Amino acid sequence: MAGAGGGELKYELAQNAYVKLVLHALKHKTSAVNGVLLGRTSPKNENLVQIEDSVPLFHNHLGLLPPLEISLIMIEEYYSTRGLGIVGYFHANERFDDAELGNMSKNIADHISRYFPQAAVLLITRSLKLYRKGKIAALLCRFVSYASMAF
Amino acid sequence: MVTKTEESQLNKLENQVDNGGGGAWEYLCLARKLKVRRSDKVLKYGLSILNDSRKRSSLGPDEWTLYEQVAVAAMDCHALDVAKDCISALQKKFPESKRVGRLEAMLLEAKGSWEDAEAAYSSLLEDNPFDQVIHKRRVAIAKAQGNISAAIEWLNKYLEIFMADHDAWRELAEIYVSLQMYKQAAFCYEELILSQPTVPLYHLAYADVLYTLGGLENLQTAKKYYSSTIDLSGGKNNRALFGICLVSCANKPNSGSLHLGKKSHCTHVFKKNSQNTHVMKKIPNLRMFGPSPRLTKAVIESPR
Repeated sequence: MAGAGGGELKYELAQNAYVKLVLHALKHKTSAVNGVLLGRTSPKNENLVQIEDSVPLFHNHLGLLPPLEISLIMIEEYYSTRGLGIVGYFHANERFDDAELGNMSKNIADHISRYFPQAAVLLITRSLKLYRKGKIAALLCRFVSYASMAF
Repeated sequence: MVTKTEESQLNKLENQVDNGGGGAWEYLCLARKLKVRRSDKVLKYGLSILNDSRKRSSLGPDEWTLYEQVAVAAMDCHALDVAKDCISALQKKFPESKRVGRLEAMLLEAKGSWEDAEAAYSSLLEDNPFDQVIHKRRVAIAKAQGNISAAIEWLNKYLEIFMADHDAWRELAEIYVSLQMYKQAAFCYEELILSQPTVPLYHLAYADVLYTLGGLENLQTAKKYYSSTIDLSGGKNNRALFGICLVSCANKPNSGSLHLGKKSHCTHVFKKNSQNTHVMKKIPNLRMFGPSPRLTKAVIESPR
């Protein structure tokens, strides 16, 4: 479990969710990858967002609208029966030294935050740093150790 | 681009070699022929052949091609010392070769010394201005440095000379899509469709880009291209089926008979293909498409 604080907002990332996304990034080493984070606000503490699951989305054509629309619809429908909603967006860039959140990722994240104001953006880079951007807190996480081979 | 049969053949061979069934040389030849990027496997099995002097000598003159293939795979896996060894072996055998010179420049590029690699490539290009691989390496250097606009410039120059290179057109289209320059990406896909009109992949990608651009006319054209993809792929392409649904829903956002109209349209599309009934089950209540505020086209379009 990894956690990070951003002012009053706290995020709790379940291991399953994180590992799924990192494995997806590992499988497609040569392209940028995408994903959504699913979870809920904790019933005990409304400043804590529990990210319980994730769904890796794409590894090519990240900027195309039709696959994104369909996947978001299907994910919402499936997970709303389980009580989880879309709480964030995950992105990993193509180049390992690129720690910038691109235009398109910002748009998707903005859109998600419209429906869930405490949305988070998880951007995978190499360093452990905390980055705040208005209502969206971006957590820059370190790669797990087995991902140290060529990227 | 690799067809499905070729890919399944390659995967079968890969499984066979992975489980110790031999056939490493056939796997390497097939990977080289299809130009797929499976560098970790190529490196592993190539090295196992090269390190065994008996197997190596049984290859005969193909040994040097294998050295070249393993060198490139090693550079892709960042095993630079392995790459260096292969290249020195090749250098000893072919001292004045341009092909080995190219590999040395690629090694410089893999190490990250961009200026030296650029200089090496420019000098190689002076001797042979029509070497496609070197042109493409220059684009790769620009892309690796993060200089996407330079990559686009080089790639455009390359395509002016070598207009028939489909992979390069695809790469350019993908770069444009990643930069949200959808009109230019549409142009690239149009070129691809003109030169290879029976490949459903290009029709699908073109339809996706048109849908992303938005606007009534583009949506109508996107619908036509989704239909042609379904036609060309024999109805097996799920993304095209989804695309048709999306376009029909986008075309009639506020009509009252919306639910019935769309549902019947979409189920009609799905019923055409019995293999895809699982798709029909997956598509949830289609009423979400219509007046739902959750997803609008504004997701991707950036405020310029």
